[in-house]
Amino acid sequence: MPLANPPAPQITRTRSAVTASNVWRAYGSGEAQVVALRDVSVQFASGAFTAIMGPSGSGKSTLMHCLAGLDTTDRGTVHIGETPITGLNDKALTKLRRDKIGFIFQQFNLLPTLTAEENILLPASIAGAKADPEWIARIIATLDLSQRLTHKPTELSGGQQQRVACARALATRPEVVFADEPTGNLDTRSSAEVLRFLRKSVDDFGQTIVMVTHDPGAAAYADRVVFLADGQIVEDLHRPTADAVIDTMRGFETRVPLAGEAR
Amino acid sequence: MLRATLKGMAARKARLILTSLAIVLGSAFIASALVLTSSIKATAADLNSSSYAGADVIVEPVEPETYGDRVVRDGVTPETLAAVRDAEHVEKVSTTVSWMVNAIGSDGKILAGFTATLAVNWGDESTARELREGRAPETDQEVAVSAGFAEQAGYGLGDSVTAYSLTTDKTEYEIVGIYGYPGGRDTYAGATELAFTTAEAQRLVFDGADRYSALAVTATEGTSQEELLTEIEPLLGDEADAVTWDAYIAEENAESAEAADLVGYFLLGFGLIAVFVSVFLIANTFTIVIAGRLKEIAMMRAIGAGRGQIIRSVLAEALLLGAVASVVGTALGIAAGAGLTTAVANSFLDMGETTLAVPVSAPLAALAVGIGVTVLSALVPAVRASKTPPVEAMREAVKTDKPITLLTVTGAGVTAAGGAGIALGLAEVFDADRANLVAAAVGAGAVFIGITLLTAWLSKPLVSLLGLLWSWSFAGKLGRRNASRNPRRTAVTAAALMIGVTLVTATATLLTSVKASLNAYFDDNVKAELFVSGPPTSPVPASFDPAVMDDIRALDGVATAVELYYDPATIDGTEQYVNATTDFDGIVDQFGGTVDEGSISNLQDGEIAANRSAAEQLGVGIGDTVTASFTRGTEPHEFTLVAILDDNENTDGWYVTTAYVEEFYTPKPTQALVDVADGASVEAVTADVEAVLADQPEVSVLNHDDFLAQITVFFDFAIIAIQLLLGLAMIVAVIGVINTLVLSVLERTRELGMLRAIGMTRGQTTRMVTVESVTIALFGAALGVAVGLGLGWVLQQALAETGIDVFAVPTALIAGYLGAAVLVGLLAAIAPAVRASKVNILGAIAYE
Repeated sequence: MPLANPPAPQITRTRSAVTASNVWRAYGSGEAQVVALRDVSVQFASGAFTAIMGPSGSGKSTLMHCLAGLDTTDRGTVHIGETPITGLNDKALTKLRRDKIGFIFQQFNLLPTLTAEENILLPASIAGAKADPEWIARIIATLDLSQRLTHKPTELSGGQQQRVACARALATRPEVVFADEPTGNLDTRSSAEVLRFLRKSVDDFGQTIVMVTHDPGAAAYADRVVFLADGQIVEDLHRPTADAVIDTMRGFETRVPLAGEAR
Repeated sequence: MLRATLKGMAARKARLILTSLAIVLGSAFIASALVLTSSIKATAADLNSSSYAGADVIVEPVEPETYGDRVVRDGVTPETLAAVRDAEHVEKVSTTVSWMVNAIGSDGKILAGFTATLAVNWGDESTARELREGRAPETDQEVAVSAGFAEQAGYGLGDSVTAYSLTTDKTEYEIVGIYGYPGGRDTYAGATELAFTTAEAQRLVFDGADRYSALAVTATEGTSQEELLTEIEPLLGDEADAVTWDAYIAEENAESAEAADLVGYFLLGFGLIAVFVSVFLIANTFTIVIAGRLKEIAMMRAIGAGRGQIIRSVLAEALLLGAVASVVGTALGIAAGAGLTTAVANSFLDMGETTLAVPVSAPLAALAVGIGVTVLSALVPAVRASKTPPVEAMREAVKTDKPITLLTVTGAGVTAAGGAGIALGLAEVFDADRANLVAAAVGAGAVFIGITLLTAWLSKPLVSLLGLLWSWSFAGKLGRRNASRNPRRTAVTAAALMIGVTLVTATATLLTSVKASLNAYFDDNVKAELFVSGPPTSPVPASFDPAVMDDIRALDGVATAVELYYDPATIDGTEQYVNATTDFDGIVDQFGGTVDEGSISNLQDGEIAANRSAAEQLGVGIGDTVTASFTRGTEPHEFTLVAILDDNENTDGWYVTTAYVEEFYTPKPTQALVDVADGASVEAVTADVEAVLADQPEVSVLNHDDFLAQITVFFDFAIIAIQLLLGLAMIVAVIGVINTLVLSVLERTRELGMLRAIGMTRGQTTRMVTVESVTIALFGAALGVAVGLGLGWVLQQALAETGIDVFAVPTALIAGYLGAAVLVGLLAAIAPAVRASKVNILGAIAYE
């Protein structure tokens, strides 16, 4: 586990878009307590596409929520870029999410009352800011949404809705985009479209993306795959292929108890 | 299944309490209306039975059939009194002398109110009086006054008070006693009283004649009321009539019951409106409750619960809720009814102690309506819930709106039919005026119902339009769109407010139009700037000394000053208004009248003038003779008709010279018109006239606006009363809006979570929900105002021929309604907005 120990701070600032250091997170108390994250330390490089994988209950979504400032950590710190987000109040966190983070959800989560274009501009509207029209036009063109801008979400297919959600996530040029099972509700063709776009946004726009998925095929689009099991990072795979991911998953499933004992 | 229902209810206390509020309100109103009615009746009956307590037969003068009340009252003669007293089975006779007088308060003006000031004889036993201070009047210059009078007039023991009747000059009396009534009451049913010696009371009431207003006869032991009545009746003179005490009280009770019923119907109307609106509210709430537990219901269906079981479980919940809420409502209603009885009894009638009567019908009706309405309202959501397919348990429910086509088509049809009715009525297609009025009124009602049905269809465009108000804020934009998202629900919510606002706007518009019509009429027709007159509520028609007219005419800046006498006289056997003045040209000129035939300028004694319709009514023309009897006159007079005026409401009536005013009901002028000369200051002249009138306690000088305000004071009361209706609609509307918002927030949890996740602040979330709330409330109010104005216009048009020919919009009131709607929206938004801003982002968006 090469990244288990936090690197020197200067390097963090220049290289890492998101940093988690010794993060613990538990839910409930007493016998019902479930430890979702155990001392997780991980960095997500700027301009890279990272996938977080793991079986159900491994803590991958909790990790993402903690990284995105949606959930609080019990111990440890999280930085978005150079900003420490641990201990920020709701207002500051909200502003941080608005300005520095983009979200893509499994359920698309578009506002049904707004048109596709209005949904794309939603984060800017919430911030009361004007979106950069050239940038927006470029995203829309890349996502092939120009014919769909005046449509309401109910008039769009699942794939189109998720593409609108992608455009929304990128519209404010966030420091990092968190995607939570972005292809979980899509057919294979739409999935491929969305994943190709995420890949492209990293390659062409230098976007940082952190994606939670349980689909090895989706993870194969990433530069790196971080595997979680029982709240711990158990494997870190660079330049993955779908087969490599599947192999790794098979592998660590048997290693999990060992990793647990090692602690 | 029942246990599951109970546990489910326990888990949703807040929601249930909110819903039950509507039921509580409805049943409380019904219960309180019934309790109030019975209690007022009982209280009045109690009060009534204290009059002539112990008497068996009441002898009263036969009331002559006259226009208005006669100045010199007919009374029971001393011969009748003596005959009754000597009857074999008469134990005792007590006498009553009582009628209205004018009394001047410490402020120099006569006491005027909605209830009379009465002069009575201290020896009167019709009412039990309890001396509180001082003693009984012993000489004709002494008076004992009721505590209510002392307080209102601002006098105490030892002060002197000036009182006079229409037949006596102003006389000063020394207050030697202050008394109250049993039960600590300060007045008797609101009337203030002055008690004199019998002789002085007779001087005031019967112009000094030895007469009595009533005799209360008590029978000797063992004689029944009927037996006494049979014995006494042959002894009475032509002027008197006798009834048994029981019959007398029964008639009094019937009179007060009529008034109590009126108040009761008013409240019952409120209650029914509350119940009507509650139906929407309860149905909505159960829809919410069911929406919140769709998964639970689907799960129950999945594990084998039948549709009937689901329906029964929802209905059981409704039954329980309705029962609990109705019981609470009934209890509150009975308490409120008791409180209202005291308030009504004290503020309007000063009945003091009240008797609480709870008729069996009060709890029965309140419980039946409360439970019935709840269960019936829950039926539709229950049946809908039972249709939940078990698969819903496994997937996220996708809500599809039911189309509103049927609703819209029905609404449009009803509205169109109503519109047609209005058009027919206003175009006077029917021969009978009444038919036209009915057509317009029924049409207006149909339009009202039609628009209520159309609310859903109207909500989309109107809400969007209203939403432009908040377009400056992004959260506002989102809120506006949310408000038009579910037209059916928005409509049901807004309808609660709309109904109330429509009713009050329509009435307020009509009353404002009446006032405006009067105003316009005065402005167009009355030349005089100032009026000298008394309050319309004074116990005896206000009048003043005609001698002051010369002083007024002599004032600088007065162009013309005309006084007017008035009498409800009998001409050729018909009731007619007769005026008298010394300046006929002045009256016609000031009131904007025109003489059509003959000349009125030089009217002589024995000559009379009339307006066209009055002359036609009697079938007389110029030169014909009519016979007139004035109220106080003993002999009829013959007059020759010498002039006919065009019909004009101000100058309508008959005119004679002042030679006859001694026979008028009010032998002094009751009104004067003062025309201020061009260039003179109205304020200065007003002050001068006021100075001249300093010794005339009954009248004051008023300008156009003051004068109109005096005439229209009753309309203002009516307008205030209908605002109460709005208050009720507002309370129910707040609950309705809260319910809808809670449902919206519940359904949109995931959306809210997403918005919060991508950076919407709590403040923005709060604003979004608040805007939705205010928009819905404003939509309801705006629609209500529009429909209300429309209905008001139809009513005004339909009644235009009765003189309400100006349509006026109560702008300030409407602004108030809209302001109140905004307030309703803000209030209703508080809880749901806080809830929305605290949405757990993770819970809302996370799906694992």
